[in-house]
Amino acid sequence: MDRELLIEIGCEEIPASWLPALTAQLARQLDQRLKEFRLTTDAPAESYSTPRRLTARVAKVAERQTELEELVTGPPVSAAYAADGTPTPAALGFAKKYGVDVASLEKHETPKGTYLAYRVRQRGKATVDVLADVMTALLRDLTFPKPMRWDAFLDDGKGDLLFARPIRWLVLMYGGRVVPFVIRRTEMAEGPNVQEIRSGSQTYGHRFQTTSGRAGRAIKIKTFDDYQARLLENFVILDRGERESRIRRELEAHARRLGGRVSGLVAAQSSLLQEVPDLVEYPSVVAGHFGPEFLRLPEEVLTTTMIHHQHFFPVVDEEGKLKSAFLAVINLQPERPEIIARNAERVLAARLRDAQFFWEEDRKATLESRIDRLSTILFHAKLGSYREKAERVSSLARWIAKEAFGQPDASADQAGRAGLLAKADLATDMVRELTELQGTMGGIYAREEGVPEPIWKAIYFHYLPIGVEADAPPARPQLGSAAIAWAAVSLADKLDSVVGMFIVGERPTGSRDPLGLRRQAQGAVKILTDLPELTGLTARLRIGALLERAGAPFAQGDRAPLLSFMGDRLTYLLEQRGYDVRNVRAVLHGGIERVSPLEARLKLEALAQMSAGGATHASPLHGVATLLKRVKNITKGMAEAGDLDAIKGRLVESAERALWAQLDGRAARIRDAAARGDYREAFTAIAALEPAVAKFFDDVLVMTEDEALRQARLTLVAALRDLILDIADLSEMVTEA
Amino acid sequence: MTFQDLILKLSAFWASHGCLLQQPLDLEVGAGTSHPETLFRVLGPKPWSVGYVQPSRRPDDGRFGQNPNRLFKHHQYQVILKPSPDEVQRIYLESLEACGINPRQHDIRFEEDNWESPTLGAWGIGWQVLLDGLEITQFTYFQQVGGIDLSPISCEITYGLERIAMFLQRVDNVFDLEWGGGVKYSEVRLQEEIDQSKYAFGQVDMPPEAFAALHRELFDRTYGFAEQLLASGLIWPALEHCLKCSHLFNILDSSGSIGVTERTAYILRVRQLAVRIAKAYVEQGEPTNVPQGL
Repeated sequence: MDRELLIEIGCEEIPASWLPALTAQLARQLDQRLKEFRLTTDAPAESYSTPRRLTARVAKVAERQTELEELVTGPPVSAAYAADGTPTPAALGFAKKYGVDVASLEKHETPKGTYLAYRVRQRGKATVDVLADVMTALLRDLTFPKPMRWDAFLDDGKGDLLFARPIRWLVLMYGGRVVPFVIRRTEMAEGPNVQEIRSGSQTYGHRFQTTSGRAGRAIKIKTFDDYQARLLENFVILDRGERESRIRRELEAHARRLGGRVSGLVAAQSSLLQEVPDLVEYPSVVAGHFGPEFLRLPEEVLTTTMIHHQHFFPVVDEEGKLKSAFLAVINLQPERPEIIARNAERVLAARLRDAQFFWEEDRKATLESRIDRLSTILFHAKLGSYREKAERVSSLARWIAKEAFGQPDASADQAGRAGLLAKADLATDMVRELTELQGTMGGIYAREEGVPEPIWKAIYFHYLPIGVEADAPPARPQLGSAAIAWAAVSLADKLDSVVGMFIVGERPTGSRDPLGLRRQAQGAVKILTDLPELTGLTARLRIGALLERAGAPFAQGDRAPLLSFMGDRLTYLLEQRGYDVRNVRAVLHGGIERVSPLEARLKLEALAQMSAGGATHASPLHGVATLLKRVKNITKGMAEAGDLDAIKGRLVESAERALWAQLDGRAARIRDAAARGDYREAFTAIAALEPAVAKFFDDVLVMTEDEALRQARLTLVAALRDLILDIADLSEMVTEA
Repeated sequence: MTFQDLILKLSAFWASHGCLLQQPLDLEVGAGTSHPETLFRVLGPKPWSVGYVQPSRRPDDGRFGQNPNRLFKHHQYQVILKPSPDEVQRIYLESLEACGINPRQHDIRFEEDNWESPTLGAWGIGWQVLLDGLEITQFTYFQQVGGIDLSPISCEITYGLERIAMFLQRVDNVFDLEWGGGVKYSEVRLQEEIDQSKYAFGQVDMPPEAFAALHRELFDRTYGFAEQLLASGLIWPALEHCLKCSHLFNILDSSGSIGVTERTAYILRVRQLAVRIAKAYVEQGEPTNVPQGL
C-alpha cells in the first residue's frame, strides 16, 4: 500500500533571498534520492517553505523498494572449464564470490562471446527502513550560498552537517508514523542546552501569535493536510503563493485607502515584492506617514530609503507623484497595528532626517571639488583610486564619442566632462549612506548645480543598462539630449572595469563574480547592440577596437580570454532575446572580433524574418546551409580561395561553369548588401545560389585525378565558402540545437 | 525605563541565565567583540557564558553631538554564549520581554546579516534583529576568529543600548534620553561627544602633518611593543596593544591622515597581529585548549 511521506526541517530564520531556490532544490533532490533508493512514487515531490521551515511531501510512496535484479558477468565460458570439463579457478572464484555453485551460474550470450553470469536478486526493503538513509542523503544534498557550522553531524561518517541556519526540529513521517532519525551534536557542544535533534511528529506555529495558550508551542500532526491546517490555525501560511497574494491584496487595499497606489518603482527597481513573502509566516500590512517636508528631497532618495533600507512600499497618487505615506509588510496580525505603524514612522523619519542633512551639506560643495577626494577612495588595489579611474573613463569616453561615434569635438567634450564627474558622488555623504544611488545622486547634484543636460543625465544614467532585454532602461526619451554622452560614458566605465580587472587577474569563475563583471560586460554589449535605438547612431562597432583603447592605460596582457568573455556575454544577450541558438552560433562563428554586436543582431533579425517565425528547415536558406557543410568539408585546410578570374578558363563541365557565373554575378551584390547592413537582401541572394550549388555537387567530381582541374574546382568551392562565411556560417543552422 | 535601568535589566536577565557579569574593557575599542571576554573566550573548547556593557568608539560616526542618531561613542550590551544553546532565540526574545517589549504587540524579525571583521580575521553568520523596522540587535554565530575555525560555535548577541532605550522612552534624539534619576544623556555625554568628534576629525591646535605624524608614530611604537609582548608570551597585554593599534588606525583614518594604499596596508598589519595573538592564545592559553581540526 502506498503511503504519504512528510518531511519538515524546522530552522532558525533562513535568509529570504535563498528560499525560492532552496525550496525547488528540496523537491528536486528528494525526487532524485527516492528514485535512487528504488522507492516508487505517484507524483513528484511538492515542497514548501517559510522563513522557519523547509517542507516536502510526497502523497504516495510505495511501501517497499522495487526489487533489484542485475546480471553480473564473470569469466568467458571458454576460460571457465578445463579440457576435462572441470571448472577452472577463475570460474570457481567467481561462483564463490556470490556463494553459489558453478553449476547454478547462467550462461550469458554477448556479441563478444558467451560468459558465465550470476543473476543478483535483491528483495526490496521496507520503505520505513530506507527513509533514514534518504533523509541523510537529502540533508547532505542541500547546498546554500553561505553554509554555517552549528556543532552538528550525521551518523554517515562524513563529519559536520553544515546548514543554512541551525536546525531546531525535524518532522519525518511515513504513513502517519514517525521514522526515527537523529542529527547528532559534536562532543564539544553537547550538553544540557545543546542536544540531538530527533525526528518527531511535532511542528511549531508562529513565534508570537496565538489564539489561545502559549505561542510557539509544539503541535502534533498526522498527515500533510492536517499539518497545513494546524499551521494555519497557529498563524503560519505554508504556501508562499498564498502569502504573496495576501500581501498584494492588502497592499492594494491600504494604498487605495490612502488615495493612491503602490509605486511602480517597487517592481521596476527592486525585488522587494519577491522578497517579502519569504520574510514572513503570517503577513499583514500597516500604513504609516512621514512629514510632508521630506517630499522636498529628491524622489530617488525617498524611494531608496523606503524600499532598500526599510523594506517599505512607497505610495504614489494618480499622477505617480509620491505621497507622504508608506506601507510596511509585517509578520503578524497585531491587535493594535497603530503601535507598529508609529514605530515604523519614527525609524523612517530618523533616516529621512539624515538624508535631509546630507542633501543640505552635499550641495555646499560642487561635484568638481570632490574629484580630489576620490584619490582617497580605492577602486582596486592594483588599479588605483577612483580618481585615477575617473580620469581613465573621461579620456576613454571622449575617445569613444569622437573616434568611435564620429561626433564633433563639442560632443566629445561633454562625454569627457561627464566621465570625469561620474564618480565624484562617491565622495558625498548621501552616496556613502545610500550606496544604491551611486551615479543617480551625482546626476542630481550636477543638475542642481546647473550643469547642462547632456552631462548631468550622462552621469545620472551611467550605471545603466543593467538588463539585456531590448527595452531595459534607459529609454531614448529619458536620455534626451544626453544620449551620445551617456552611451560614451557608460561604455567607457564598463570597459575600463572589465579590461582592468582582467589584466589584474580578477576574472569571474563559475558562479563567482563578486565584482559584477558579467553584468558590466553585458551592459557594454547591450549598448553596442542597441546603439541605433538608444542614440540614433548606426555605427556597427566591433568590440575589439574599443577594448584595445580601453586597455591602453594598463600593462598589455593576453587579449584572447577577454574577447572570449565578451563573446560569451553577447551570446547570452542574443539567446536571452529568443534567437535560435543555432542561428546565434551561425552569426558569431568567427568570434566577437569578426562581428559587431549590432551586425550580429541585424543578421539574426534577417534570419528570423526569412524563416518567418517557422522552424529553421522552413527557411529558404536551409538548402544552402546543408550544402555549405559539404563545401566546408571539402575545402578543409584551404586558407583562402584565390583568384576566381584565373580559374575561369580551366573549368570544363557546364555545372561548374554555371556556378562560376553565379558567383561572379552575385558576389558583388551580396557583399554590397552586407556592407550596407541589408542582410535580408544578402541572405536572399545567397539562398538563390542553391540550385547552382546543388547541381554542381550532383554533376561534378571535385577530387578528380587531374591536378590542375582539381585545384580550379577547389578554388571555386572555396570562393563560395568565403563569400558565405564572411556573413554567417549558415551550416550551423542545420546542426543539432 | 532609564538608560541605566536597561543595563540593570539585561545584566540581571543574563546573570539569571548563567552568564558571568564582566566589566567593559578599559581601552578604546569599536565593539564588544574586541574584548578578550569575546575574542579569546570563543577560542578553544571551554564553555563560557558572559555578559557586559562595552562603550564602543567609532571615530567616523562622530557628529559633534549634532546628529540625533549618531555618536562617536555608543554603548553595546554584549552577550557570549558558548556553546550556543538550542533555545538561544527564545531566550533572547525573553530578554526583550524583560526590558518591557511585548513581542505580541510588535513586529520582531530576524533578517539575514552576516558579520565580518577584516582586522580580527573573524566572521560569523547571523541576523540583525528588527523591532518594528528598527535594528536593535546583531545576532551572530561565530564561525572563525583570528583565522581559526571555532568548535564549539559561540553565539554573540549585541544589543544597541541607545537604540533600545530611545525606543522604550519614545524619544527621537539620543541626547534626550534619561540616563537615570532625571539626568539626561546630553548632561552626561554631550560635551564628550563634541570634544571627541573634534579630536577624531583632527581639529586639534597643531598642524595636520604633526597630528598625522604623531599618530603614525604612536601606531608604530605600540605595534612594535605588541610584537615584543607576544614574543614574551604575554598574550593578554599583547592583545590590548593590538587593539590600541586598531583604534589609532581608526583615528588616522577619520582624520584623513592616510591614503588608500596605506589604509589597506594598516588593516593588513593589524589583522596579521590579531591572527598571531589568537593562535598564540590557542596554543598557550590552556594545555587542552586546542579546537577540533587543528
